[in-house]
Amino acid sequence: MTTTDALDTTFMRVLSASATARPFVLALAGVGLALALSGLLVLGSGKSPLAAYGSLASGALGSRDRIAVALNKATPYLLTATGVALCFRAQVINIGGEGQIAVGGLAATWVALALPDAPAGVLPIVAALVGAVAGAAWAALAALVRLTRNVHEVLVTLLMNFIGVLFVSEMLQGELGEPGAGFPQSPLLARAAWLPRLVRETDLHVGILVALAAVVAAHLLLWRTPFGFRLRLRGASAPAAIYSGVSMKRSLLSVMLVAGGLAGLAGALEVLGVHYRLIEGFSSGFGFTAVSIALIGGLNPLGVLPAGLFFAFLETGALAMQRAVGVPSPLVLVIQGLTMVFVLAAVALPAPARRA
Amino acid sequence: MEFLAASLRIATPLLFAALGGILSERAGIFAVGLEGMMLAGAFAGVIASQVLGSLGWGLVASVLGGAFVALIVAVATVRFGADQMVTGLAVNILALGLTSFLLRGLFARGEAPIIRVATLKPLPIPVLADIPVVGPLLFQQPPLTYLAGAAVVAVALFLARTRAGLTLRATGENPRAVFAVGADPARVRMGALLACGAMAGLGGAVLSLQQVGTFTDGMTNGRGYIALAAIIVGRWMPLGTFLGCALFGAADALQLRVQGFRLPVSSYVIQMTPYVVALAVLAALGRSARLPAALGVPFLRERR
Repeated sequence: MTTTDALDTTFMRVLSASATARPFVLALAGVGLALALSGLLVLGSGKSPLAAYGSLASGALGSRDRIAVALNKATPYLLTATGVALCFRAQVINIGGEGQIAVGGLAATWVALALPDAPAGVLPIVAALVGAVAGAAWAALAALVRLTRNVHEVLVTLLMNFIGVLFVSEMLQGELGEPGAGFPQSPLLARAAWLPRLVRETDLHVGILVALAAVVAAHLLLWRTPFGFRLRLRGASAPAAIYSGVSMKRSLLSVMLVAGGLAGLAGALEVLGVHYRLIEGFSSGFGFTAVSIALIGGLNPLGVLPAGLFFAFLETGALAMQRAVGVPSPLVLVIQGLTMVFVLAAVALPAPARRA
Repeated sequence: MEFLAASLRIATPLLFAALGGILSERAGIFAVGLEGMMLAGAFAGVIASQVLGSLGWGLVASVLGGAFVALIVAVATVRFGADQMVTGLAVNILALGLTSFLLRGLFARGEAPIIRVATLKPLPIPVLADIPVVGPLLFQQPPLTYLAGAAVVAVALFLARTRAGLTLRATGENPRAVFAVGADPARVRMGALLACGAMAGLGGAVLSLQQVGTFTDGMTNGRGYIALAAIIVGRWMPLGTFLGCALFGAADALQLRVQGFRLPVSSYVIQMTPYVVALAVLAALGRSARLPAALGVPFLRERR
């Protein structure tokens, strides 16, 4: 096979690739295996796995309030994981979600505190947008180190997570902190900055709609636009992408900007919709969870949706499970980690040959 | 003096993990899972010391704990060809969850118990320990610190002077060539990963059995990632990586030290220093850092 033939094959593959059922089936199998193995662990600790999973499910879905909490939890996951999925599609291994979320939340808080007299309808929108810009800027910084100094983006984004989170703590200790509070947190934001509720008498805020819109937009972007095609081509084969004139550098920078913006938005919505203030450690673990969700979702925005909801319900139910059955809540991390390992291994296996 | 001692103390667990990581990465597998391997080692060491009542068994368990996590990585990446970076992240999450779960599940009902075990005591080396300044610093250390020093030399000699070391390096550069001369790259990588896990597990034992004497959730706290950066700073060479670990140890020790003074910056800014230093050093090295050529590339016989 000549080089041109190989490139042609790559083009065909990227052009014809679309959302197939295979990743979905593999993800389900991965989740099933992970639940089964974790169930054995529960059994080993002398508890009934069925009772544990039962209380997990009722803790997550048992009432309107629980569902509202879970959907709020899903919001930052869906936004961040959608960005991660786009990055990974393009072979840009951005694991800087946590730092980008933290910086986004910080920027949104700063805006909300700086403009206490802004009209209610405008302030949350402005604060959320500034959060998104801050997240994008934080990601762009990582991209620039990657591009100019040739340090792998995994390391840059990882190290910038620690720096971003500590930067938030630093701001809370200084300028943005609430004097006299026992805990590093900002003062409560003015009511005008709060995100409106979606359903009365629950905590559910409008963020979940923003997240859903982002998922759909990312789906269209990835599968229906030239930009999305360039991302997929870049990820499928760097030589093919270069051959067809895709700039490796520009596409890396742009996909990092998109992902950073989504993560920053996630941080902003978390502050404006859930806590109504900036709290130290509010983004803890979100970034890595988003990576898991993106993978289990088959690096497909529409696949991210069920995966993100699954993780959010899992975590919402975890504390209920610990209270009701006495099974420790870190079991949820075990389930998440196992699911990732299984899905990763399964996805890497060659697909069964299909006739053309 | 006190500062140097603190640097050495902080660098020791990093050094074990980073040396293990060198073996893994020179064989062509990214060692992102170091954090999870260290955590599993720290946990297994404490549990075994408590249950079996002996620090010796604790050390054995640390080695096995780290190797267990490495085995998961090995099967997923070598056997199935899974993405190495993300598999590393996955086992880090898994190790965090598993250790926290087992700590509560095995010893208490829901609440995290506090397990106290004895720590490895300093072992002064006769004569040498009496040398002024250098003696207390280098020759009145606990056993794992000596072992870490010996491991630097051992890994360096292994990679540079032995046949197995040559095969390992060749696997990281060109696995097909290794396959062509009759060795099995998959097996080499499996072995390198297990050795990596064992060493990272010992790194965890330094924390839990030599320094703290207990296990707390997520006690490695990002050290595995710092070890990863130290490998790159040291350009995948044992001696260079030793210097990288020393650099990060010093940066961290500086943080402890300046907390005593009244400085215009807060403790958070100082906590940032190791990460900023890591980033700055990586950026400064930039293009001059050359990765093993086949690092991150799965070798699957049927898919050549």
